[in-house]
Parts: sequence; structure tokens; C-alpha cells
Amino acid sequence: MTTQLSVYADPKAEAAGAVSAVVASLPLSFGPAAGPSAEVPDVVAVAGHAGWAGRAADAIRSGASGVVVAAPVAEDTAELIGVADSAGAAVVLDQQWAGNAALAESSDNVRRVIAGALEDAVMLDSVAVAAPGTDPAHLLTEQLAVLVGCGMELRNLRVVQRNGNGYTVAGVLAGGTPVALQGILTSALPATASVTVLTSTGRADVVLPDPAAAWPAEVRVVTAEGATTLPTLYESSHRTSWARAHATVTSGKPANDLVRFAAVTSLLNQLTS
Amino acid sequence: MSGVTRSQLRIPQSSDYKEVSNLSNQAQASPALLGVGILGAGPATQAIHLPSLARLGDLLEVRHIMDVDPAVAETVAGRVGANFSTSMDELLADPAVDIVAICSPHQFHAAQVIASCRAGKKAVLCEKPFAMNGEEAARISAVSAETGVPIIVGAMHTFDPGWLAAEEAWEDLPEHVHTIRSSIVLPPNPRFEDFATEIVGRVPVPGRDSTDPDVIKAMLTGGVMGLAIHDLPLVRRFTPDFEAVEVLHAEIVRPFGYVISLRAGNVSIELRAAMNATWEPSWVFEAIGDDAALKIDFTPSYVHAGSATARIRRAGRTTVLGPFGHNGYEGEWRKLAELASGTGQAPSAETLIHDLEFALSIAEAAARRVDTGRTAGTPADEEINA
Ligand SMILES: NC(=O)c1ccc[n+]([C@@H]2O[C@H](COP(=O)([O-])OP(=O)(O)OC[C@H]3O[C@@H](n4cnc5c(N)ncnc54)[C@H](O)[C@@H]3O)[C@@H](O)[C@H]2O)c1
Repeated sequence: MTTQLSVYADPKAEAAGAVSAVVASLPLSFGPAAGPSAEVPDVVAVAGHAGWAGRAADAIRSGASGVVVAAPVAEDTAELIGVADSAGAAVVLDQQWAGNAALAESSDNVRRVIAGALEDAVMLDSVAVAAPGTDPAHLLTEQLAVLVGCGMELRNLRVVQRNGNGYTVAGVLAGGTPVALQGILTSALPATASVTVLTSTGRADVVLPDPAAAWPAEVRVVTAEGATTLPTLYESSHRTSWARAHATVTSGKPANDLVRFAAVTSLLNQLTS
Repeated sequence: MSGVTRSQLRIPQSSDYKEVSNLSNQAQASPALLGVGILGAGPATQAIHLPSLARLGDLLEVRHIMDVDPAVAETVAGRVGANFSTSMDELLADPAVDIVAICSPHQFHAAQVIASCRAGKKAVLCEKPFAMNGEEAARISAVSAETGVPIIVGAMHTFDPGWLAAEEAWEDLPEHVHTIRSSIVLPPNPRFEDFATEIVGRVPVPGRDSTDPDVIKAMLTGGVMGLAIHDLPLVRRFTPDFEAVEVLHAEIVRPFGYVISLRAGNVSIELRAAMNATWEPSWVFEAIGDDAALKIDFTPSYVHAGSATARIRRAGRTTVLGPFGHNGYEGEWRKLAELASGTGQAPSAETLIHDLEFALSIAEAAARRVDTGRTAGTPADEEINA
């Protein structure tokens, strides 16, 4: 029997994470809470603009067993980690690309394929696309979350260029393999993030879709033996994140999201310092 | 095979061809066909030009092949029934040659282009790169203006019907492009040369110590002048401020390739290339603006795998152009045939020189970053020259 959790999203969280549509697609797992004051909701959706860590901590202090943060910007989460730990509350980050099921900890085949390609990488090339008007710093946060989510250890990151249309960041993988990241602002292309690992004999590509619809991710590997397309799901990262929030809250097993997010923030700090 | 005697199986010798070709050239050369002479008969001639010309036998006929290596000149000429020689002057003096193709190593291009123009030929194809420095380019420009001989440079993507179709369809896209990407993944050259022909006289590439800064510099200039050069004229179509190009980052990729970041005015340009041992090549050019984007998938070097496919995306609508049945190599020869018969428009010398200056300034600035210690090196052992 699935435990139904009540959910509250304020308008900003609703807009950032398409919460009601997603929750409606998990009707046994979630139901709407009447409002912030009527009862203590089990799970609170938090919009990820600046100050989200404080808002998430407040929701936990007010009794929520879980928070789902939509599109969190880079910020310090030390206090939130403490608050969540002592309350035993779950903090799930709903990141547009990193939250895709293809990168979930349970996607063993995808992880294996990426890890295999990284062992033999000659270049890592990644492109993140977002609509004009998107804050490039946030786009880079989302892109780095993808790379961290792929298990990549990036080093010596530096900004090569940055302007109103995007950015280029260069770095290396552990063995010195070149890393090239680009963010592009355009409405002409779908808002996807792609990661390409070129290897000595082939490549691995991961393309993560815009979560506005349930487009599946694409994961393809080329080796000397041939090309393989891995199975992926028609599920948006929003839905995957909420399903994970339900599992985390009901199982009591802690989520790893804030640890991963700290790895992203630390990359960003290295970059700007 | 028992009924076939040895003499019936006799493999023709090149001397046979010489007689045959002398006959065909001097006595029976079809006036409708344009005669081609080629300087340098290495892999580019063998794998790229002869197969392209074999598809255009109704327009063009190879009549003279010159190489400094007599064995290469003779065997390659033998394949097509052409005269051969080891001297440029002899080829240029051959009246059967209307069009000269310069396919020698880079350092000879400028002098051979100039000599071909002065010899009063009808059209000249210079394999890329056009020249190795600005001074050579200026000399070519002067001779081209003086002689009026049309010249094209073998940057094959500019002759690809997929690119040309995109150019006709893209409307005001160039004014709005702010981001360009050229991403190349190719297997090592010999593999694809061998799909296109049977090569003679291939020179193995010596192994080199790619931690040596001079080797890294050579890899970067070689990568730009040998590989990126096919896309740089395309890049320039979208960068009005090409003279202001700055190299912001340059790095080599193992075993051969590069990651280069450029800025020209408001346009960001990212060049990526890797020559690895993949069986799956990929060559993508993208030009992206706020509301429209062009993406072109080119077919790989050497093989004759038809044209690129271009996609123009605008407001939820994608226009697909191509693929067409021939690639830019054949496109070059079709263009040369037009020019030599007095039709068609040659690219202006200014365009070719600006293309060259653009490539040279990128290659030089990329190499300079090695001196300033801003380029990371990784081991490499292969040359690049697609
Ligand atoms: N457009 C393309 O896709 C493409 C691909 C490959 C090469 N290329 C260009 O074609 C040219 C030749 O390439 P390659 O791979 O055949 O090179 P290569 O160096 O392997 O062969 C060149 C040939 O020229 C001969 N040669 C040397 N000096 C000469 C001289 N002074 N005059 C005449 N011949 C001379 C050599 O003996 C050799 O046979 C290069 O400029 C290269 O950049 C273009």
C-alpha cells in the first residue's frame, strides 16, 4: 500500500517545478495539501532562486518530512544539511537535467558505460542549451550538476569566455584529458544538455532532454564492436525527482542530493576564485 | 582460368599508357573535354581527385601528372592513361593541360599557383591551404589580378551542395549568429584513403614526442591549417569581424586533434577535433542565433559519400536540405570545369586571401599560446591532414 504524502507548493515553486502537473501524475504517492497553514504538509516544494536553502530549512523546521527544490541556484547548504539531518528530513533537488532518470543512482548500465568511456577518454565535450534570458551562471550550475551526476571529476576549470549569449569553460579530467563545456542561449534549439566523451576508439553520448515534456534521454555508446543505444525512460526529470522524494521520505533512507550539490558548488567556487 | 594464356593476362605497362595517352592527347583529345594536369600525386590526388574526376568523364580528362617521385608519377599517371613527368615546367608547358590542380605539400602551393597562372592556364585548383603566410598570399593575389586566371582553393566544404543549399535558404541568419561550433571526429587518414582507392607511395608518419612544446605547436598549426581549414571559410560567413579574431584557448587532443576557443566581435567560435580510431566519423558545423540555427552534417574526408545534410531550425520548423549525390570534392571539379569554359563565377581573390589570413591568424595565435605556457599538452603520435 503506497503511503500518500501531502504536498504544498507556493506559486513560485509551482512555476519553477511544474509541481501540480507532476504530482497529478503520481496520484497514489502524493495529494495536494490544503495550504501552508491548514495542516503541516508532508512535502514542501521550494523554488530554487536565491535563498532556497533557507526556505527549505524553514519548511523542515515547520515539520515537513521532505522538501523538493526546483532548479536550485548555487548557494551554501551547510545550515540546511544540519537542519535536515537533525530532523531526519529528505532534501531532494529537482534539477532539470541531472534529475533525469538516466543519471539516477539506479541506472547502472548508463553509469557503467560512462565510467568505461572515461577510462579511455581523449576529450570531454559538453553543451548545455537554454532559452535567451536564462542566467548563464545558473545554466553552468545545471551543466556541472550533469557532469558530477555522470561521475566525472573535473579539474582546473576556468572560464574561457562569458557573454550574454553563453559561456565556454575549459578544464581537464583527472588524467589530463581536455574538457570543454559550452553554454548556449537560444530559442532555436531544444533546451538539452549533452555530454560527449570521445575515446580512443569511439565515443559515449548522453543527451538529457528539456523536462517540460517526458522526452526520453538518449544514451549511445560506440566501441570497436559497434554502437549501442541504451534503454531510457519517457519520464521528465521533475517526475523522477518527485518519485525519488516519495521513496526517500517513506523509506527514511537519506538522499545524496546535497552532497552532490556541494560538489557542484565547490567547482563553481574554484571557477570564480 | 585455364583457357587464358599468360599474354592475354599481361598487365599493361605504363609505357603502353604513355603511347595511348599521347595518342589521345595530341591526336584525338576530345575538344569537348577539358584537360587536367596535377602537381603532386600523393594520397590526396589518388584518393580524392582521381575518383572525383572518374565520375566526371563527360567534362574532364586527366592528361598529365607530375610528382617529384618518378615512380609515383608514373604509376598514378598509368592509372588514368595520362602523361607523367617529374618537373612542374614540363606539365605547365603541356598544351593538353587546361586546368592545373596543385596537390603537392603545403610549402610548394604558392609558387605552383603563381607559375600555373603565369603559364596561362584556364583555371587553377590549389589544395588547401592556399599559402603558408600573408606574404605568399599577397603575391598570389597580385598574379591572379594580373593574369585573370580563376583560382579556387580545395576547402571542400565550401563546394558541398549541402552547404550551398543552406546558403541559399538561410536568409538573414548570418546577421544573427552569435555562436559557432565545428566538431570533427575522424579516423586516421589512411583508413579512409583506402576506402577511396588503392594508395601507392604512402609515406609513414614518423612518431613524435608530443610533450615537446614545438611538437604541440606543430600539432596546433597542423590541426588548424590541415583540418579546421575546411570549416573556417564557413565560420567566416558568420563573423563579419573576422579580422578581430582572438584565440582564447588552444589545446591538443590525443592522439591528434584540438580544442580551440575563439572570439570574433560578438561571435563565439568553438573548434573541436579528434582523430581517434573510431569507425564512426562525424563532422558537424553549427551556427546558432537567438531564433534560428543551422546544423550541417558533412560526410567524412576522402570517401565519396555524397553531400552534407543541412538543417535550418526556426520557430519550431526545421528545413532539411540534402543529402545530394556528390560531395565538395566533385563540386570543386564541376566548378573548375565551369570556370575553364568561361562560365561560372570564381571566388574573389580577396575572399580566398581573407580565408587564408583568418586561418593563419588562428593557427599562429594558437601556437603562440604554447610559448606563453597557456596550452596543456598531451601525448600524440600522428599527423593530421584531412
Ligand atoms: N581537401 C582535402 O580533403 C585534402 C585531403 C588531404 C590532403 N589535402 C591537401 O593535398 C595536398 C597533398 O596531400 P597529400 O596527403 O597527398 O600529401 P603527401 O605529402 O603525402 O603527398 C604529396 C605528393 O607530392 C609530391 N611532392 C613533393 N614535393 C613536390 C613538389 N615540389 N611538386 C610536386 N609534387 C611534390 C610527393 O612526392 C607526394 O607524392 C596537401 O596540401 C594537403 O593539405 C587535401
